[in-house]
Amino acid sequence: MSRILAALARLRGALGRDRGDDELREELESHLDMEIAEYVRRGMSPLEARRQALLSSGGLTHAVEAVHDQRGLPWMESLGADVKYALRALRRSPAFAGVVVLTLALGIGANTAIFSVVRGVLLKPLPHREGDRLLYMRQSNDAPGGASMAFSVPEVAEYRAGAKSLGGIAEFSSWSITHTTDEGAVRIQAGLVTGNYFEVMGLSAVLGRLTQPSDDGVGVPAVMVLTHEYWQKRFGGDSGLVGQQVTLDGTSATVIGVVQPAPFFPGRVDALLNMVVSPHHVSAMMVHGRTHRMTEMVARLAPGASLEQARAEVAAVTQRMHADHKDAYDLGANARVTVIPFKEVLGERARLTLWLLMGAAAFVMIISAANVANLTLMRGVRREHELVVRAALGAGVSRLRRLLLVENLVLALLGALCGAGIALGGVRLLTTFAARYSPRAGEIQLDGVVFGFMLSLSLAVALLLSFLAVLPREGHFASWILAGAHRLSGGLRKQRVQRGLVVAQIAVSVVLLAGAGLLTRTMIQLGNVETGLRTEEVLTMEVPLNTPAQLLARGDGDSHQRYERMRQEIRALPGVIEVGVGGTMPLRASSMLFDVKAENKALGVGEAIPRAEMRTAGPEYFRAAGIPLLAGRPFLSTDQRGSGKVVIINKTLADHFFRGEDPVGKRLAWSGDILRFTPFTTEWRTVVGVAANTQDGGLDAKSRPVMFMPFAQEMAIAGGMVIRADSNVAALTTAAVRIARRIAPGTLIENVLTVSQIKDQSLSPRRLNALLVSSFGILAVIIAAVGIAGVLAFSVSSRTTEIGIRMSLGADRGRVQRMILREGGSLLVTGLALGVVGAFYAARVIQGLLFGVAPNDPVTMGGVALLMAAIGIGACWIPAMRAARVDPAITMRS
Amino acid sequence: MAEKLDVKQGTLALMILKTIEVLGPLHGYGVARRIEETSKNRLTLNYGTLYPALLKLEQEGFIVAEWRQSENNRRAKYYSLTPAGRKQLAREAREWHQTADLIAAFLSPRREGA
Repeated sequence: MSRILAALARLRGALGRDRGDDELREELESHLDMEIAEYVRRGMSPLEARRQALLSSGGLTHAVEAVHDQRGLPWMESLGADVKYALRALRRSPAFAGVVVLTLALGIGANTAIFSVVRGVLLKPLPHREGDRLLYMRQSNDAPGGASMAFSVPEVAEYRAGAKSLGGIAEFSSWSITHTTDEGAVRIQAGLVTGNYFEVMGLSAVLGRLTQPSDDGVGVPAVMVLTHEYWQKRFGGDSGLVGQQVTLDGTSATVIGVVQPAPFFPGRVDALLNMVVSPHHVSAMMVHGRTHRMTEMVARLAPGASLEQARAEVAAVTQRMHADHKDAYDLGANARVTVIPFKEVLGERARLTLWLLMGAAAFVMIISAANVANLTLMRGVRREHELVVRAALGAGVSRLRRLLLVENLVLALLGALCGAGIALGGVRLLTTFAARYSPRAGEIQLDGVVFGFMLSLSLAVALLLSFLAVLPREGHFASWILAGAHRLSGGLRKQRVQRGLVVAQIAVSVVLLAGAGLLTRTMIQLGNVETGLRTEEVLTMEVPLNTPAQLLARGDGDSHQRYERMRQEIRALPGVIEVGVGGTMPLRASSMLFDVKAENKALGVGEAIPRAEMRTAGPEYFRAAGIPLLAGRPFLSTDQRGSGKVVIINKTLADHFFRGEDPVGKRLAWSGDILRFTPFTTEWRTVVGVAANTQDGGLDAKSRPVMFMPFAQEMAIAGGMVIRADSNVAALTTAAVRIARRIAPGTLIENVLTVSQIKDQSLSPRRLNALLVSSFGILAVIIAAVGIAGVLAFSVSSRTTEIGIRMSLGADRGRVQRMILREGGSLLVTGLALGVVGAFYAARVIQGLLFGVAPNDPVTMGGVALLMAAIGIGACWIPAMRAARVDPAITMRS
Repeated sequence: MAEKLDVKQGTLALMILKTIEVLGPLHGYGVARRIEETSKNRLTLNYGTLYPALLKLEQEGFIVAEWRQSENNRRAKYYSLTPAGRKQLAREAREWHQTADLIAAFLSPRREGA
């Protein structure tokens, strides 16, 4: 306690002047007077008494100083002096200070911005209670569409019974629903959850209550929990909302609470509802259908249980299930269940990209730090004399070291300050970028940890720079002073450090450039991918007339007629060439995949069951979309309900079943237990046409087998318009949406996109990747070029005398120039060699982000090496030219 | 004159506290005189030693200072003990005695087996 008091008092003393020296002086004077009086009393003359008293006092000024040191923090005062000195020294070399601060600002800013994203999306603990014990379970197989298949209720029940290391298993089923309030109807994304969901997830209510086990089952009231985001966005955080009745798809539900902000998976949701909201989810079909997989499974590790235990138990249950229900699992396609920590699954799409950017930013930091180190070293050599003299005059080596440290700290902190500005701007850009990859983008912020990271980065740089400088050892000043000006050439060690730094800069630049080159080539390759549509002037829009619940309750009603009316009205708009209706839009992925079989084609033993996307199309669909028919005919208006079932298959499916045969006239059928839960039948369907493949899963996706059915022959579970115009199809958007809205009031019209916009959705994340890494690369190259030029220029200027001697001994200009070029060239070659080796390794790491270009792509690697070599030679040229212009007559004399 | 001693680190604070305890509120001169007398002039305190020590005790909250008229009618700064200072004095004195006993025991001639 007393120590804290004292520290506070001293700090106060250091900051203010406390009650000041006057009082102290008065106290000391009074002491002196009393002492004089005492001496006089003993019989001394007043003059002698005063002399004697002063003698025994030890000096008033000394006392004042001593009290000063006790009152304040002496090191803080001398620190203030050091900072002042450092600022003055930097002001004297503004070019040096400017370059260093700018270089550091770029490095620190880029790293801080990207670190804040990495932290928000990947590192930060989840907001869930004990979020590191949360698990996500994924059922998958290698068949198309099998990457994440969800679970059925009977499957969940088996895990619940068999995996005791899972303390709780909650169910979550994505569901879209119409939410009607006084303000109107909106289609929202919801999750149907079991009562234990929030308990398992470890989330609490910010308002009202959350669902609990009593909300499970049938015959309970429908309840709704709003997510924090939706509550804020739609209702402005109105706390009067709890207890209100709302209408969900026409039935009544009660808002019971608002959950704390948290990321949801597999996607963002607006609300969480109990299962009874969807009669289908509590129906026998759903509850007992083993292949009716609509449920995501999250679990919490039981107290004391480990992830390994959970994985082993889940594997055992899975194996037993596979053995007990052979028909329900595609073992040929490697059916499996994996247990993934929830935090990892949230970051899985962002991870590679973010670490790539973090790595690139770190490389930029290395290069900038190296450059600053070189600059400081060179400046250090020039200042060596000054420092040595200061040391000899009594500053002490540790004091000098501190002076350097303070100077570098000032530089680094100035850099950090400017870097913070860059980071602020960068974070905003990167947050939108990260939102594509992660539901946690909302958690990105420049918080204390991020600033801590930034500060430690600056401190590390400052420390590094301070200890690179070579200072004399205590007691060796004399020799240093004697060496004086001759030492200006810089010690051999220093030159070696500088050269090493330049080699590192070149190597790291090559790695960055190679990454940038590969990512840019990826983007170009991707941009060149044919969508499969013959024209770009196509607009697509999704107009789902019915929510899933409505379809389950009363079928599609008059949807076919309404879609046809919509089609005809849009067709009548000026400039429109053709409009087609379809269940799923071209160039957009379909989540409807089913097993498919061909007549008289038996499945080989152990062969994966073929699966195809189910799509529906009207007669005009292919013409409107510009999808070429490779064989047969399009659908006709006579392909109606009641007429023979026909299908058009895409080239991938045709190749799978009918390689070398004519598919037209062959018969295919959907198969699999899961069809029981759909309005689709398993009868044989005759192939009437073969359509070209389209890039529905994105430009980089492998094309999947597709089987189209006539839109009119099947239930309209979804629908949309494919609009083709003669030119500028985007201009039709407003008119088309207006028509759709009139015919389908209250419907959420989604994804109104032109083909080029859809392409862009595929391209833009890659473009940003390539752009970011390229800017890092360019930055690196510029910094590195400055680095080479700087080091060589320094070498030239410190060797002027030597060059002068050489020239007067007969070396011509060309020879001198070659000498300097050779010096730079050897650095360049070493750096290039190291860089190319590094680039091969780095490319292998980012392989997953590449498309259409091999990681060891010789064109990219060669190009990058050539570019770097050219820039490097250019950077060497300037100092070499300067060396050649050295006038021996002048240098020898000076 | 007896041999002059340096004030050992840490002991000065104890001496100051004890002096103020015995003599009551006291100015710096009084403290110095008393310590010099008690040490039979083997210790002399110059200002640069005494006043930082007083300031440190004040900062630690063991003593408080106050300007008053002195006996011969001049202004002087008087230091008095705080309750915390009293406690600190007791603690330090105890520790000092223990240390002194210990050192004495070590330095006295051994009489093992006697």
